[in-house]
Amino acid sequence: MYSVVSQALRRRRTSLLWWSIGLAGLAALLAAAYPTVRGNSELDRTFANLPPGVENLLGLGNGNLLTSPAGYLNSQFFANILPVMLLIFAVGMAAWTIAGDEAAGTLELLVANPISRVRVALARLAALLTLLAVLTAVSAATLIALAPVTGLDKGLTAGRLAAATVAAALLALAFAAVAFAVGAATGRRPAALATASALAVAGYAVEGLAHQVPALRPLRAGNPWHWLLAADPLRHGLTWQAWAPPIALTVLLVAASLPRLAHRDLHG
Amino acid sequence: MSAPVIVCDGLTKRFPAVTAVSELSLTVAGGEIVGFLGPNGAGKTTTMRMLIGALRPTAGRCSVLGGSLARDVALRRRVGYLPGDLRVDPAMTGAQLFAWFGRLRGGVDAARVEGLVQRLGLDPSRPFGALSKGNRQKVGIVQALQHDPEVLILDEPSTGLDPLVQREFLALVRQAAERGAAVLFSSHVLPEVERIADRVAIVRAGKLVTESTVGDLLDRTRRHLELRFADPAPAHLFDRVPGVVAADVDGRIATLAVDGPVGPALRAATEAGTLLRVNPAGDDLEDLFVSLYQRSDQSMEVH
Repeated sequence: MYSVVSQALRRRRTSLLWWSIGLAGLAALLAAAYPTVRGNSELDRTFANLPPGVENLLGLGNGNLLTSPAGYLNSQFFANILPVMLLIFAVGMAAWTIAGDEAAGTLELLVANPISRVRVALARLAALLTLLAVLTAVSAATLIALAPVTGLDKGLTAGRLAAATVAAALLALAFAAVAFAVGAATGRRPAALATASALAVAGYAVEGLAHQVPALRPLRAGNPWHWLLAADPLRHGLTWQAWAPPIALTVLLVAASLPRLAHRDLHG
Repeated sequence: MSAPVIVCDGLTKRFPAVTAVSELSLTVAGGEIVGFLGPNGAGKTTTMRMLIGALRPTAGRCSVLGGSLARDVALRRRVGYLPGDLRVDPAMTGAQLFAWFGRLRGGVDAARVEGLVQRLGLDPSRPFGALSKGNRQKVGIVQALQHDPEVLILDEPSTGLDPLVQREFLALVRQAAERGAAVLFSSHVLPEVERIADRVAIVRAGKLVTESTVGDLLDRTRRHLELRFADPAPAHLFDRVPGVVAADVDGRIATLAVDGPVGPALRAATEAGTLLRVNPAGDDLEDLFVSLYQRSDQSMEVH
């Protein structure tokens, strides 16, 4: 089983390197730009009258001013760019774990070896978690290192920065679990990618509209975007409201799809 | 010969649009090589994919070494499989694949891998994606044989191999059988199966059409020959020669269709004049399929 994990990691190492450079660069750029925003009270006035839905999507609720470190990081990074980037990485890899490998025709030969499909799936999920953890660590470490230099540490501890990064990764994990489950159950990579992406976009839209449209509010309970934005981990840390729902959803989706994977036909 | 190692019993696979395999029963004993013959789309690959556990039978059952490869994961250690459409991560080298699969099977026999690589003339350091079709097939053969399995399930294994490598490969398969391995070997080329198989199972449209020894099958095979003479041959030379079902003599060239042994036809030819050359013409297997299918269709109509 370990050799399947390491094969999956080796396969992604170049991609991991570029993603790490990209995310670290993005975090560094964001931190470097903060000093120009910090003292600009005009920006705060411009953003003061945003509709509550948009304000919520930008993580500017709860009195987070755009020019404050929390408001700046939420609206420019933790509420959108970071989760979306991690989501693209994680969903892409999750769709590969079974469905992508199956479509490439390489899974059949692998599971002719003494290893079950379920073990292959779990080993590759472990590899996915490892890579996601590396990207999370790289992003958080960059911000934490640059925060004292750029003034982003005002009112924000390293722990809070790490918490917000982990929460964004957990949102990515939840949607990756959707891609994994659809791919494992059907063997169709396009279906896996489409379902996860559509739900991610729909979830974001619903979270934005739910402020204006009360009918959409019941959907929030199952929406990873709501879990992330409502928990506001930059302000409150990694509370159970932030980590428990995405982890529970991930476990549920994986557990639900594995029996189907074990018993269905592999596509030739 | 020992007890059956590969068993298909009433094996059936229906897909939404087509019945790929229908009530197929077949056994392969330890030490035996069974050629699995049939045109493309006859159900050979589907049968093998059910044996290996990639597909679940709709009805009937199949077992390998007394168990199901779909359920009994540990059993797969004793089986070598070469898929008909071999695909490997293009960035992975042969050496990496052999090492990885070796670990999954509980240990790499580096000397055996090296021996196989040498015999087939494969460069294991090149990525799979950079290899020619023949060299890719060699990678598939090495991974199927590297753990000296007791069962070999080989789907069109000599696709893309040049004749010398093919001979080496057939020798490897024969050695495996001599050590007691059960081999199921699919092909759509009769001569290859002639050279290696003890028995032949012929499938068409998912059904087993015939199962017999190779010798028996060859007796039934229609051969096409082209004979070249030094001087023009008599037009009616082959008219009453046993086994000749059709003859066309055109000056120095005669084309014949012969059922069964070709000896009498060749004797008649050498007695008639100076025979310069004998060339095989046409695809024996196609004719064999045609005649077998006609027979099976007739028998189906009768019943």
